[in-house]
Amino acid sequence: MTLTLALQLLVNGLVNGGLLGLVALGLALIFGVVRVVNFAHGEFITLGAYTTFLLVTRFALSPLIGIPVAFLVGGLFGWVVHAVIVSRMTGRPELDVLMMTFSLSIVGLGLFALIFGGDFRNYSEGPTGSIDIGGVVVGWRSLTALIACVVLGAGTLLVVQRARIGLGLRALAQNRDAAAACGINVPASERIAFSLAVGLAAAAGSLVSLIGTTTPTVGHYWVLDGFVVVVLGGMGSIGGALLAAFAISLVNSFGSYLLDDAWARIITYLLLYAAILLRPHGLLGRESAS
Amino acid sequence: MSDTVMNPPAGSMSRGNRSDAIFIAGVIVVGAIAMAQPWLGVSSYFLTLIYYVAYYLALGQAWNLMSGLTGYVSFSHGALAGIGAYAAVLSLNGNLPMALALVVAAIATVAASLIIGATALRLRGTAFTFATLFFQELVLLLVRKLPFTGGSSGLILYQIIPVWIAYVMMVTVAVAATIAFALTRRSRLGIRMLAIKGDESAAAAIGIDSTRLKIILFCASAGIAGLVGAVHGIFVATLYPEVIFSVDLSIVALAVALIGGVGSAAGPIAGAIVYVGLREIVQVVAPGAHLVIIGLLLLGIILFLRDGIVPAVGRLVSRKSSRSSTSGRQP
Repeated sequence: MTLTLALQLLVNGLVNGGLLGLVALGLALIFGVVRVVNFAHGEFITLGAYTTFLLVTRFALSPLIGIPVAFLVGGLFGWVVHAVIVSRMTGRPELDVLMMTFSLSIVGLGLFALIFGGDFRNYSEGPTGSIDIGGVVVGWRSLTALIACVVLGAGTLLVVQRARIGLGLRALAQNRDAAAACGINVPASERIAFSLAVGLAAAAGSLVSLIGTTTPTVGHYWVLDGFVVVVLGGMGSIGGALLAAFAISLVNSFGSYLLDDAWARIITYLLLYAAILLRPHGLLGRESAS
Repeated sequence: MSDTVMNPPAGSMSRGNRSDAIFIAGVIVVGAIAMAQPWLGVSSYFLTLIYYVAYYLALGQAWNLMSGLTGYVSFSHGALAGIGAYAAVLSLNGNLPMALALVVAAIATVAASLIIGATALRLRGTAFTFATLFFQELVLLLVRKLPFTGGSSGLILYQIIPVWIAYVMMVTVAVAATIAFALTRRSRLGIRMLAIKGDESAAAAIGIDSTRLKIILFCASAGIAGLVGAVHGIFVATLYPEVIFSVDLSIVALAVALIGGVGSAAGPIAGAIVYVGLREIVQVVAPGAHLVIIGLLLLGIILFLRDGIVPAVGRLVSRKSSRSSTSGRQP
């Protein structure tokens, strides 16, 4: 394997890792703050993908405008879903909460299939062509996606680590009762975390539609990888999730080249089971007191 | 409510045993009636409906045995059934007798389930759920790649086995799985499991080896799922990996229990009947909207009924009977 080829695979892995990181960031945020495993996350990705697709094909707008629009649509949608459904589940057993997000996911999958059919959809608008940096070819679309991922990810981390809202979110993730006792508005913080995470998922979906094809199940496959990342990184750990996102994407990128797609995924899953066996609480996860 | 509190534990236990005996006798009678249908001149459409009720009931009961008792949600029971189907068809194609093929299917499924059992069941909480979710994908990928499974083009059962044999076997498995669940729930194992579901740390503190029990129960549950899959493999006779290992079957397994009532023996029975009936109606009324309607039904049940049809009806009945104060005991 030449150095150029290795660099090419590395770049491919980075683009994938950026998207996966965005998905996992949302999952970790929801799990950490709201204490909900969001099985419907994939359908929010699909929502963003179709939103962008419709903006581009129906309203002839640039897919670059689709990214912030998808983020806003997703955020609004997340706000409503939390207000109408998720917040009703406070205090219910874990099984019920799990089944609630899972049912939402089934409804979403069914709705997308019903409205859009099973067609593979893509569009040619937006950035085209590629640049060649010392033999490594990077498509402008991929580069756009990577840059957008970095901006969105960095923005989210900034909000969580520095802003006043983020303080509430982090306090909730650490200890719910203590946070509530200190005057953190728990329902409001949960709603913010949920809609922020759904907005990120929809923005990721917008980028997925830019670099790939959009189908009713596109988000479902992304979120499966997202769960691999979240488990590997340690449930609710944002740093662990980002680390694992890039690790998984690089294994996939190199594995797909050396063997094939299917074996790369098989290896990923086997590595995951091995990781659970060796580090039960994930790469950077801590054993939770709850 | 006050009735159970006033009763001494021994009394309530024997009453529970009696109602269990009545329940089990009822299940056997209904099972026997269902089994006799092929010889009573019933239309083949109706027979297929009963077959699918039995199929989903057996799978739901297998799911219930693990997830209903422990609260550890499994998304892999469809994949486990698929492994059973492949193992049974491969064994039959290798000229093993039927009984041996079913045993091989159950053993293969239990062995496969140990991947999850040995890794994720040592952990508490959602790690198990994720491990089962990945298992589903892993098995589908492996079946497409392994040399002896026929790959993406599928696997065909060479022998021609009459449909009534698969029908009778599936009803038998469904009856046996329901009885096994009812007995397990009342057993020492079942009571320890409910303790784990309630508070795993507290259960461990009073000396319950939760990891060992969870693995035992998951293996038993997987074995039943494997048998169910094996019989269904014989029923359909042609296995396509995308169909056999589609996530839909895993959804059905838990939907059936969830609709009827998680952790109750009667729950999956009600759930399977409602699910199959609803599916038939939806296929006529709104063919494309199948997933949406099932999803909305599940969502409605979780949000408003909370724990399924059977417990909700039970509450309704006990509220009515407590209002008319002189009425007798409820079974």
